[in-house]
Amino acid sequence: MAATVVTAAVPTEHDSDRCGSEEENRGAEAAEESRQQQTGPAAAATHNRLSKLPLARIKALMKSDPDVSLASQESVFIIAKATELFVEMIAKDALVYAQQGKRKTLQRKDLDNAIEAIDEFAFLEGTLD
Amino acid sequence: MAERPEDLNLPNAVITRIIKEALPDGVNVSKEARRAISQAASVFVLYATSCANNFAMKAKRKTLNAGDVLAAMEEMEFERFLEPLREALEVYKKGQKGKKEVSEQKRKDKEKKAGSDNDKSREEEEEDDHMEEEEPPEEEAEEEEVEN
Repeated sequence: MAATVVTAAVPTEHDSDRCGSEEENRGAEAAEESRQQQTGPAAAATHNRLSKLPLARIKALMKSDPDVSLASQESVFIIAKATELFVEMIAKDALVYAQQGKRKTLQRKDLDNAIEAIDEFAFLEGTLD
Repeated sequence: MAERPEDLNLPNAVITRIIKEALPDGVNVSKEARRAISQAASVFVLYATSCANNFAMKAKRKTLNAGDVLAAMEEMEFERFLEPLREALEVYKKGQKGKKEVSEQKRKDKEKKAGSDNDKSREEEEEDDHMEEEEPPEEEAEEEEVEN
């Protein structure tokens, strides 16, 4: 059997917290090293943990694909980050429809409208309950 | 333990937080909308993974790497994500390198206590060279999420 990754059944939220504090410590050094780069994202990243979504859960999702054998830590992180950006994007795009309906509450139908209208969300059609 | 994709949802609290931070104050999100967004996020992960995996397989690699994911984003027409993802990756990589250095340092300290003081500086240089060699990209393939 290809090398399987067994992530221990540790509560993912706690793990993320642990990662977070360690990353903050490392991040301080990283921020100094990357002084020539913009300090904005780097500074922000040292205060938040880098990824809001638990990497272990993301990885479990990825591994549910039978074609996927191994995934580097970096790839799991990037997918987590991309998912975050995706959630932000779809929420904002759906909001447009709520506002058109003069509502301040985002509703399911706003999501459906956004999915139908926006090309990037075509892959979602027919996938949501 | 075999998890079905449907069972693996992302934590509601985190999804809610991401949504709230993306939207202006005063905007609410219905429970159904939140649930749908969470589901959509899971589908996104699966789709992105599958897409990225195609790139890895094309390159005859068994391990998905960051480059595959970035290529997938482009393929999925999410080019707008590329810039922020690259930036985040840089910070992440530095953080990971820092962690490795910390555990290397701890290991060195233990050895120093056992070894003699004269050999200290020589050992350090050798260890540093060692570290460079130990950090090729493929090293990321080692699946030990030590911190996780």
